[in-house]
Amino acid sequence: MTLWDLKQGTSATVQSFVSSLESSYRTRLSELGFHPGESISCVLSPSLGAPKLYRVNNSVYSLDDSVASLIEVGTQVSTQVGTGK
Amino acid sequence: MSKTILIGSPNSGKSLLFNRLTGLNQKVANFPGITVNINAGKSLAHPSNEFLDFPGAYSLQTISGEEKVAVDAFYTALNDPETSTVVCVVDVTRLEKGLIFALQVINACAEHKKPLIIAANMVDVLEQHSMNMDIVKLEKALGVPVIAVSAKSGSGLEQLQDRAINHQQLPSAYSSDIIASDESLIHRQAQQLATDFGPKGDLLINAQTKLDEFFLHSWFGGLSFLVIMYLLFQSIFTWAAPVMDGVEGTLQLMAEFILPLLPAGVVSDFTADALFGGIGAFLVFVPQIFVLTLVVGMLEDSGYLARAAVICHKPLRLFGLTGKSFIPMLSSVACAIPGIYAARTVDSPRKRWLTYLAIPLMPCSARLPVYSLLIAAFIPATNMFGGLIGWQGLAMFGIYVFGIVCGLLVTALVSKTNKHMQSDLPFVLEMPPYRLPSWRPLLRNAWSRSKHFVTKAGKVIFLVTVVIWLLGYFPNQGADLGASWLGVMGQWIEPAFAPFGLDWKYGVAILTSFLAREVFVGTLGTLFGIEGGEENIISLAEHIQNSGLPVGAGFALLVFFSIALQCVSTLAVLRKETGSWRLPTQLFVSYSILAYAAAWLTFVIVQAVAG
Repeated sequence: MTLWDLKQGTSATVQSFVSSLESSYRTRLSELGFHPGESISCVLSPSLGAPKLYRVNNSVYSLDDSVASLIEVGTQVSTQVGTGK
Repeated sequence: MSKTILIGSPNSGKSLLFNRLTGLNQKVANFPGITVNINAGKSLAHPSNEFLDFPGAYSLQTISGEEKVAVDAFYTALNDPETSTVVCVVDVTRLEKGLIFALQVINACAEHKKPLIIAANMVDVLEQHSMNMDIVKLEKALGVPVIAVSAKSGSGLEQLQDRAINHQQLPSAYSSDIIASDESLIHRQAQQLATDFGPKGDLLINAQTKLDEFFLHSWFGGLSFLVIMYLLFQSIFTWAAPVMDGVEGTLQLMAEFILPLLPAGVVSDFTADALFGGIGAFLVFVPQIFVLTLVVGMLEDSGYLARAAVICHKPLRLFGLTGKSFIPMLSSVACAIPGIYAARTVDSPRKRWLTYLAIPLMPCSARLPVYSLLIAAFIPATNMFGGLIGWQGLAMFGIYVFGIVCGLLVTALVSKTNKHMQSDLPFVLEMPPYRLPSWRPLLRNAWSRSKHFVTKAGKVIFLVTVVIWLLGYFPNQGADLGASWLGVMGQWIEPAFAPFGLDWKYGVAILTSFLAREVFVGTLGTLFGIEGGEENIISLAEHIQNSGLPVGAGFALLVFFSIALQCVSTLAVLRKETGSWRLPTQLFVSYSILAYAAAWLTFVIVQAVAG
């Protein structure tokens, strides 16, 4: 599954990037915290396909489907943060 | 003169710190990437030292052209013998991210043999939430001085200024890996340092998430966005109105006091028509520019704008843009120039190019005097619910929406038909924490923007007003405006504006407004001043009402001014940013033609409906 499939209130560990993702952007995502081995939680998932909010450590980023669907993650687990809608 | 470099991640509070240290008034916002030029200012405490504020960077390894410019400039500054110290600003509420960059800066400074200080900013936020971090141990671990500061409250700044000129010790490289990549050591080290010495707990992030759940909610988020935008435009009228009345009343009092003291004739006529009629008519609108800049600044400072960018991303994508285009577009509501500069934060070159197409159509504050004048002349000033809703405010909202819709339609059309710079970058936007706005810098920024507006536009308006007055007053000493030199010239251009119901006076005002839009008001004020003689100093809106301008022509003027690119400065800055005259020329010609055609169509439709 990809980061975009992650449900609100759940988290998962980044496994890899889809090969089509440009290497410079791969580096930037890594610097922001989206690197293999890091746990990412989805804190907000609005409807209508709007960008979702992801928490990495103490920062929150908004990613749209064009990039979140290029980050492959492992099994999702439930988290405490951002479970309300 | 020694120089101190200020560098840090985007939105780490560098610009506010720079303003505090130098007393300058650089634009500050709670949005990643707002500093787009390198600003310099003398230290308040030690004037022999100069601070240089560099654009925020996530990394010393760049992925876009703008980042490369900033990072190259940083390395050039590191090689400059005058550079005495580097101050790396780190937001302690998001320590790990700041440290990833800081560790890279430590290595760069070690390599270039420059002393480094880490400014641990926003400690006031930690104090507010009874949180703390171990500065002493962090300093020991990094091997460079770490000074706890709050750019907002001013704490720790004295110590920082003193250390900036006295600190001589060179740092040692912290990590052998200068580039943070997937498995990088630097990333793990930053994470470990943040875990060991950073603030503990999720309090801040949880508070931010609660607010995000509301402001980005599928329904409440959209609704609150619309309400906030509506209040923004309504505030331009309701908050600024008393001050505008005050300015108008003062000008009238001054005219009543000064004019009788002057000998009748040319001097008195010039003072009444050109100074009070022309320039005075323009000064009345300055309070609105102040309020607009203040409210947009409040939204930026609160952190809401980044949320607005997220809300707008999906709809803007339909028009070929991105949520990041929202910030330059909203900045353009104050003025297109900062909007064009802010478009540098749109990292995708194609989306930035499309944003440039939309910016000149955003309803900038130079259009505001024209809109206000025409709305005051044609829309009744009826208010409801204590001034919360009023017809004039609604009309202003409508004309603003019209400009924005025009901008979006243009970008949609161009993005569908033009494949210029097709390769693209995905959407990743950092959500800054919510903050209560800092009033002092906001008020200072609004004041300096208004002052800039008066002094910059004022010069052009004064020159145009004098020329227009001379041409309109002679050769018959203002006895008959129609027979003046200007009147004769006006008859030649009248046919061009007759299709939308305007006489030659409006034609002359439109032509002069191609220098800058607000000149329209000054020119019209001067012309009506000459025509009206000295018997009455009445508001320009009343003059327009009395002139019998058809309602269709009023709407046609509104539409014309919403579309036409009448701003020499916008064209010059676009040329600078795009590197050629191609885009500014294309936009000027196409928006002029579009404005003319749309104004004519509006006149025909409104006149048909109005009967």
